[in-house]
Amino acid sequence: MTALLTTEGLTCRFGGLVAVGSVDLSVEAGNVHGLIGPNGAGKTTFLNLISGHIRQTGGRINFAGRDLGATPPEMRAAAGIRRTFQNLRLFREMTAIENVMVGLHANTRSDVFPSLLRTRAQRLEEKEITERARETLDFVGLSKFANSVAGSLSYGHQRLLEIARAFVARPKLMLADEPAAGLNGAEAGALVGLIRKIQGAGVTIMLVEHHMEVVMRACDRITVLNYGKKLADGSPADIRDHSGVIEAYLGTKSAYLRSARRGAGEAFHAPH
Amino acid sequence: MQSATVRILVVVLFVAAPFVQTNTYWQHVFGVALIGAILALGLQLLVGMAGLLSLGQGAFYGIGAYVSAVLTLRFGVPFGVAFLLAGAAAALSSLLLVPIVKLPGSSLAVATLGFNIIIYLVMLNEEWATGGSYGMLNVPLPRIFGFELTTERDLYFLILAVTGAVYLGLDRLTHSRFGRALKAISQDEDAARACGISIILYKSKCFLVAAFTAGLAGSLYAHHARYLNPNDFTFNKSIEILIMVVVGGLGSLPGAVIGAIVIVLTPELLRSSGELRLILFGALVVVLMGVSRGGIAGLAPALLRSIARFRAPASGKAVESAEVKQ
Repeated sequence: MTALLTTEGLTCRFGGLVAVGSVDLSVEAGNVHGLIGPNGAGKTTFLNLISGHIRQTGGRINFAGRDLGATPPEMRAAAGIRRTFQNLRLFREMTAIENVMVGLHANTRSDVFPSLLRTRAQRLEEKEITERARETLDFVGLSKFANSVAGSLSYGHQRLLEIARAFVARPKLMLADEPAAGLNGAEAGALVGLIRKIQGAGVTIMLVEHHMEVVMRACDRITVLNYGKKLADGSPADIRDHSGVIEAYLGTKSAYLRSARRGAGEAFHAPH
Repeated sequence: MQSATVRILVVVLFVAAPFVQTNTYWQHVFGVALIGAILALGLQLLVGMAGLLSLGQGAFYGIGAYVSAVLTLRFGVPFGVAFLLAGAAAALSSLLLVPIVKLPGSSLAVATLGFNIIIYLVMLNEEWATGGSYGMLNVPLPRIFGFELTTERDLYFLILAVTGAVYLGLDRLTHSRFGRALKAISQDEDAARACGISIILYKSKCFLVAAFTAGLAGSLYAHHARYLNPNDFTFNKSIEILIMVVVGGLGSLPGAVIGAIVIVLTPELLRSSGELRLILFGALVVVLMGVSRGGIAGLAPALLRSIARFRAPASGKAVESAEVKQ
């Protein structure tokens, strides 16, 4: 197994606040790697550091054998890091298929002149983009909504569309920021299947998620953050039994056991 | 109605206009309206597609006009070459804006307005090149493939051809990877970057294309009006172009053309009302924006809906459900 992404002492300070404090982490190629922790633990900041939307104040990020340094997000996207956002960030006034087509921006070439002249290469590329976008919409189960305006889709469908926009480029690494947030039980269950399908297509996934059932079922490995520090690292089974994690995340162990006894399916019907 | 039918009708209308109206004054005004349409189309790319509020289009318009006039008048450059160089010069000068394209909405508007003022002052003070406040007289008539375009109708058709080409070009651009990138940036910059779109690069390219079209419009203006004065290119011109775009309908290319025609022709039509005409014109613009935020282009669907309601008063429910579907 080789590591696709490693961080060494990754740190991000906002003024006096340490959002991410010297985190060493390694994501194996081909894995679904969970990143969990209580609210404010620094999970989203961590993803923003990897995608380049926030610049680290210390430490290093190594991706596919390359130090990312100060590479801007658009270059990281071109290098194969794609992401979804916690609070939906779709191009709301564009159609679903256009959203997915924009996801292929870094993988395509045609610029002003070829578009003006409608060159053969440009038309071929447009056709190819359209086809791939259609396939991807089908892949996430949105083919019926290809020509719907993104902002008019239901919440669950908008979440899927964000995943489609990130996945269409077949990235090396996909950062998913709480894809299950706001989904109902059935949708969250389907999401686990979709994550595994994306993994099956050869994409390494880093999953930030609060929905424990989704995390435990979808992830191969899990890292736990608390107050910006790495608290634990291991398989879902290790994490489930890690006393420090249980305390930080769920309160006391007895509370966790009580909730576990109510049944695994319970979490799927939790109010959101 | 089929969109192809509409397109043919519109082309016929534009081609027939100077034959129906044989008064050369009006033919000249039609030409002015179409030059306005080219300007509005260029700004539509900036404001309507990319969400970049620019008040500097008047400057690029002026640069195109002076470059074309100087090249033909002083250096005897043929019109066709001067025309393209005017667009190129305007596009090149838009690179001066690269450091500021990242500014957010209102700051960008003020910064581009400042740019327009600087260019105006250059036109006014660099007398050796522009003739200063005396302006430039006797800009030659366009000559294409050896034919001099002498009548107002000839000039109208030259401008119409350019307008058509600019419209087609921008229509193609909006339905391409380039256009999608601009729309994506205007709706969410972070998400656009996460898709691999460089914000500065695409905003700069957008300014470049818009400046190029404004430069072409400037060249046409120089050889159509045949007299240039820096006062034609103050930031008032930029604001007038913005009014065209907003009145016509943000984001709509046909809207930009309609807006330009309305803004140029209405004051002419109101000429009989004497001193009141600009007040009437201003009031019309205010009322229109109050009635339809989508401008004139946004008015048409609303109008069709009320016609549908008027025609089917008995089956009100059917109309209601049709509206829900929309």
